[in-house]
Amino acid sequence: MKKDLLVLCIVGVMIAFLVTGTKIQSVDDYYLTHLDEIAEGSETVFLGIRCDTILDNWGDLDPNLRYEKYVPGDGILLPLTEYALRPGDTVFETLNRAVRHNRIQMACVYSYQYSSVYVQGINHLFEFSCGPLSGWMYQVNGRFPNYGCSQYKLKDGDVVEWMYTCDLGRDVGGDFWNLGATAYAPADPIARLHRAYAAEGGEI
Amino acid sequence: MRKTKESKGNKGDLDFAEKRTANALYKKRAGVTESFHPVILLVYFVGMAAVTMVTLHPVLLGVSFIGAVFCTGMLTGMRKLLKSLAYSIPMLAVIAVINPMFVHKGETILFFYNNNPVTLEAILYGAAAALMIVAVFYWFKCYSIVMTSDKVIYLFGRILPRLSLVLSMTLGFVPKLKKQYKKISAAQKSMGMYASNSVTDRVLSRFRVLSALVGWALESSVETADSMSAKGYGLRGRSSYATYSWTRRDLFILVFVLLALGVLTAGMSLGAGVGFYPAFKGISAGLWDIVAYAGIAVLGLFAGLMELWENIKWRLFVSKV
Repeated sequence: MKKDLLVLCIVGVMIAFLVTGTKIQSVDDYYLTHLDEIAEGSETVFLGIRCDTILDNWGDLDPNLRYEKYVPGDGILLPLTEYALRPGDTVFETLNRAVRHNRIQMACVYSYQYSSVYVQGINHLFEFSCGPLSGWMYQVNGRFPNYGCSQYKLKDGDVVEWMYTCDLGRDVGGDFWNLGATAYAPADPIARLHRAYAAEGGEI
Repeated sequence: MRKTKESKGNKGDLDFAEKRTANALYKKRAGVTESFHPVILLVYFVGMAAVTMVTLHPVLLGVSFIGAVFCTGMLTGMRKLLKSLAYSIPMLAVIAVINPMFVHKGETILFFYNNNPVTLEAILYGAAAALMIVAVFYWFKCYSIVMTSDKVIYLFGRILPRLSLVLSMTLGFVPKLKKQYKKISAAQKSMGMYASNSVTDRVLSRFRVLSALVGWALESSVETADSMSAKGYGLRGRSSYATYSWTRRDLFILVFVLLALGVLTAGMSLGAGVGFYPAFKGISAGLWDIVAYAGIAVLGLFAGLMELWENIKWRLFVSKV
């Protein structure tokens, strides 16, 4: 009987360990996020999410996803928006806050291999949804960093764009095999940002 | 009940002996599907398993599962079926729960688990996949009951002599090991083991049985190999004897099975499409969908219904005597 008790204790500890490691939230709780107010002089970053490469590869897209609500006509899921930067924020934390605030679906896993978060899907567009070389990538200031998104720390004024690639990064300008050398981006986010602000008559 | 007691006292009671024989006959009655020609068995069971494997449509899988379980129940008897269902239904539930833990696709979010959505669609997908696995498992269970090793060798002995032998031996290994496991644990029980009340002790003592079983398996495989080579297995020109004659009934059944398979395949390729992510869509009732549903209902329940029909006939026959 002593042995039974011992085994019971071990199982109990294991279950307690599992339970403390899990967090279950209702949908409303999850989306209830607090965005910091952008005050004069506060540090900010810009974040946008685009999937316009899918429009060029419509034939490869999973037929169940060929709807406006998954792939908007202009390919922009989240236009470049200014968000307050909290100290120590990484690309992933900024993205997480932004999608929660905008109620955009996102799924990610923590990859122990790379000790970083891997974003599997945004707005129901997952890796491999549009051909075998498709998935989400991010660029900061027009460069594709060779980092996991939860390892890249942001600084004031950084421009982050999440882009859906259908060709392992080549179609968005971030060649997977040649990441360090890539400083070229076809849709230069900073230029686009300037244009957007100019259209509104603002200054950056 | 009273009568049985009396009969037990009197061993010469003819009535009792007759009843027992009839009972034994009834229980040991070979299934009607077993009397079909091996070609039909192969086409039917492999066809059903294949059809089940290629689809994730909940209606098709559900009907296939019911057909497989029905057929298994008819072949093995209720008690054995319930015993195996007691294992396979929890397994089904576990697979259905595991999928949403790793797949976060789907529109209908139920709740968030460690910041990732747990969706209804992922649970449905998991349930469909689990149903498929369990249904295929039951189809192969039926297959292994009716397709005895002599039938396998009769079918493939000429074309693939080695492979058919290996296949039939491998398939025979599971029941063989099960039997030996029971023997070993019975022997250990009779030596006074497993007397402890502690659950841990009892679980640990299973490992002892298992290690004895592995030792036995290795030894027996060596012996089997020796014995078989002594008997001339694997040599050229070795013939086998089998009496499987092709009858008119077999022809009718084969035509029926092939027709139904054709209709089902047509229905499945032109209709009965299914999609789980991001939103579930699948249960529709177009023309081809209904063709597929009808096809699987006819084909999936065919073996079980044949058995049931024969069972009813047999029961009527027994009660008349």
